Amino acid sequence: MEGPAPINDKRLRFDAFTSDENTVFPDKKQRLPVMGWNSWNAFGSGNTEALTLEMVRKIKELGLDKLGYEYVVLDDGCYRPERINDRLESDPVKFPSGFKSIADKIHKAGLKFGMYNDIGTKLCSGAEVGIYKHEKNDCEDYINWDIDFIKVDNCYYMWDNATFSNTENARYSYAPNIRSVSIDGKTYSAVNDGIINGSRAASMNDYVTFIGTFDGTAPDHTPTGLRSSELFFEVTVDTPGVYDLIVSYATGAEEGIGSWLQVASGDEIVFDEMLPETESSETFKDSPVIKIKLNAGMNKIRLMNHRRQENTLNSYSEIRKELERSGNGRDIVFSICEWGKTQPQDWGHIVGDSWRILNDITFQVGSDGNPGTAAWECDYTTSITSQYNKAVIMDEYAGLDKGWNDPDMLVIGMDGITETMCISHMAMWCMMNSPLTLGLDLRRVEKDDWICKIIANKDLIALNQDPLGIQAKRIYTSFKTCKDPSKEYIRDNNRVDILAKPLNNGDIALAFFNLSSEDKKESFSISADTIVSALDMIIPVSMKDAFRNASGYMVNNLIDKSSLINNDGLFTVDSIIAYGSVVFRISPLL
Amino acid sequence: MTREAFIIQLCRVFGEEPGSVYVYGRENGWLEQEDELFKEEEINRKTVARILHMYLLKEKEIPDIKDISKAQVLRDLYDCRVCANHVAQIFLTGIMEAKDLAASGGFLWFDLEGKDDLNAIEQYLDNAFEYCDNYKRG
Repeated sequence: MEGPAPINDKRLRFDAFTSDENTVFPDKKQRLPVMGWNSWNAFGSGNTEALTLEMVRKIKELGLDKLGYEYVVLDDGCYRPERINDRLESDPVKFPSGFKSIADKIHKAGLKFGMYNDIGTKLCSGAEVGIYKHEKNDCEDYINWDIDFIKVDNCYYMWDNATFSNTENARYSYAPNIRSVSIDGKTYSAVNDGIINGSRAASMNDYVTFIGTFDGTAPDHTPTGLRSSELFFEVTVDTPGVYDLIVSYATGAEEGIGSWLQVASGDEIVFDEMLPETESSETFKDSPVIKIKLNAGMNKIRLMNHRRQENTLNSYSEIRKELERSGNGRDIVFSICEWGKTQPQDWGHIVGDSWRILNDITFQVGSDGNPGTAAWECDYTTSITSQYNKAVIMDEYAGLDKGWNDPDMLVIGMDGITETMCISHMAMWCMMNSPLTLGLDLRRVEKDDWICKIIANKDLIALNQDPLGIQAKRIYTSFKTCKDPSKEYIRDNNRVDILAKPLNNGDIALAFFNLSSEDKKESFSISADTIVSALDMIIPVSMKDAFRNASGYMVNNLIDKSSLINNDGLFTVDSIIAYGSVVFRISPLL
Repeated sequence: MTREAFIIQLCRVFGEEPGSVYVYGRENGWLEQEDELFKEEEINRKTVARILHMYLLKEKEIPDIKDISKAQVLRDLYDCRVCANHVAQIFLTGIMEAKDLAASGGFLWFDLEGKDDLNAIEQYLDNAFEYCDNYKRG
C-alpha cells in the first residue's frame, strides 16, 4: 500500500521539534513579519493580471510601499488547471502575459512577487496542479519566475484528513486503539499499566484511543501545552538485549483512530509503519513481532503516532529544499498555510517564516465589484476575534529566530465590520507581530480616507516591524475565571484584554482591547511594575530596571495621536467603546 | 449531467445563446478554465453551486446575502474554503437544498462532492431562474 515517505532525517522528527538549532535549514533568515497584499480576500479565484497590476499601481499611489507593504501575492485561481508537459502555466484568460511577465512588472515597480501552491495533489480550487510529486519542476518554475514569496496550502493532502482529502487518510495520523503490549511473554494492559501523556488520548473500556495529535483547524482547542498524546510503558528488565514486542491493536480510519503506529524505546524509533487492518476498531489482534532493544533496568517504551506533524513538516521541507536547490541563494519568504491543523507552532520554525494558526478568517471573499464580507466574531474561525483569541496566547512560539504566528490576512475594508473594528483589528495584528497582508480591493481606498488611515498608521506598523521582534504578551484580561492571561484560551468576547510588547529602544507598547459589543465604562489600569513583572522572562534586566525606575513616562496614544506625561507609573484607560482599542507607546524618562 | 450540458442548459433556462459561453463566461468571471477543460466530467454539487452563484452575481448582478450564519447548519460548509460562500448563497436562496445523510446522525450536509440526477439539476436551474426573476421584480 502507498503511504507517506520514510522519514530518515531525525531532525524532522517530533523529538527534534524543540531543538535550539535549526540545522535542517541553517540559511533560513531571521526576518520581521512580511507586509504586502494578497489577492484572495479581495478577489477570490477571480483575480486577474489586470486587477493585480491595478493593485500595484494603488500601492504606489497610496505610498503603501514606503510603509513596508512590498509583497504582491497571487493566491489560488491563477493557474491553468492542468500542467502542460509537467509544467505549471498561468490561466490564459486571467493572466495572459504569464507569470514571469507579471513578476517583472511588479519588480519594476520596486515591489516583490509572491505565488501560491499546495502540498497536496490539487489546489484548494480543485486545479490539478498541487505540488505533491512535482516539487522539483514546480520549484524550478518558481525560481524562473523570480518569486520572492510562496504561500503553500494544505488541500487534497495525501497523508491526513485535510480539506478535500479522503477523510480515511486519518489512518496515517493516528495510532490504532491499543489494548495491551506483550514483551518477552509478559503482558501489560494499556489501561492499567500504560501511562498517557498530553490530553489527546484517553482510556475507553479496556483500551486506549486517540493516540495522535489534535486537529487545530477549528477553534475548539487551545494551542498551548502538549497537543498530542503518547501511550508509554515503564518496563524493567534484568538483562540488556533485543526483546520481542507484540501489540494488541485495532485499526480505524477516522479522526482519533488510525492504523499507523510508531514505537520507540526512549528516543530510538524501532517501528514506524502501517499495521495490517483489523475487522473493526474494536476487534483486536496481535501485531507482527517488533524487535526492541532494552537496557538493563527501567525502559520507557513509547507507542505513538506523530506522523500528522512529521508528514506535514516533511512535505513542506521537500518544497523548501527544492527552492533552495534551484534558487541559488534567492531570498524567498516561505508562508506555511496548513491552517493550524497539525499544530505548526511546534514545527513551523524549522521550515517556514510564518504559519497559519486556523482555518480562514473569512469564507465570504470578494470579487471585482464586491468587497466581500468579514465578521468581528463567530463560532468558527471566520472572524477577527476567532483568530485573535488563539494567536494572543501563542507568543511563546514566535520570534525572530523562529517565525510568526499567522492569524490570516487582514479583512480591513470588507463589508460586515465597522471602522472601530478595523482599527482594533490592525492594532491586534501589529501587537501580535502577525504578517500584515492586505486583502482588499485597493481601488476602494483613497489617500487619507478612513481605510487608508488605518492601514497606513505608521505608529502601529512600527510596533509590528520593531527590530526587537517580540510578539506582545497578554498580561491582563477582565474575563473573571482566568488564572493565567498569557496562556489561557478564552473564547468569550465579553472582556477587555491588555497586551504588552517590549520594543527595541526600551519603550513598551501597551494595548487595551474591548472585544465585547458593549461600551466598557469602567476604568482599566496597569502599573509599570506589573508590566515589567509580566514580561520578566523576555526582556533584558537593563530594560526592566530602566522602565521600572523611570522618573516618569511619555505616553503616546498611537490611535488618536494624543500624548501626555505620566509620573505615577499607573497607566489607565477610563473607558473603551464597544469593539474599541487604545494603544500606548510608553517611553521611560530618565 | 456533464459540466458542459449544465452550462448549456443554464444559458437556455435564462434565454441566452450558449454558442460562445466559454468565452463570455470566462470574461465575465463566472466560469473557470476547468469548466472548459473538464467539460465532459459529471458535474458535482459544489461546482453547480459555484457556477450558479457566480452567474447570478456576475451576469445578473444579484448581490450576495451578507449574513450567511444560517448556512452553518451545513456540517460540511467549512470543509471548503473556496466554495463555502458559493454553497452558502445557493443554499440560503433556496436554489439548492441540503441533504440529510444517514451517516451524519441528523445533521445537514451539502454533500460537496455529491452528484445529482438530471431532474434535480434541472430543478436547481428553474429555482435559480425564479429567484432571479423575483429579485428583479423586487
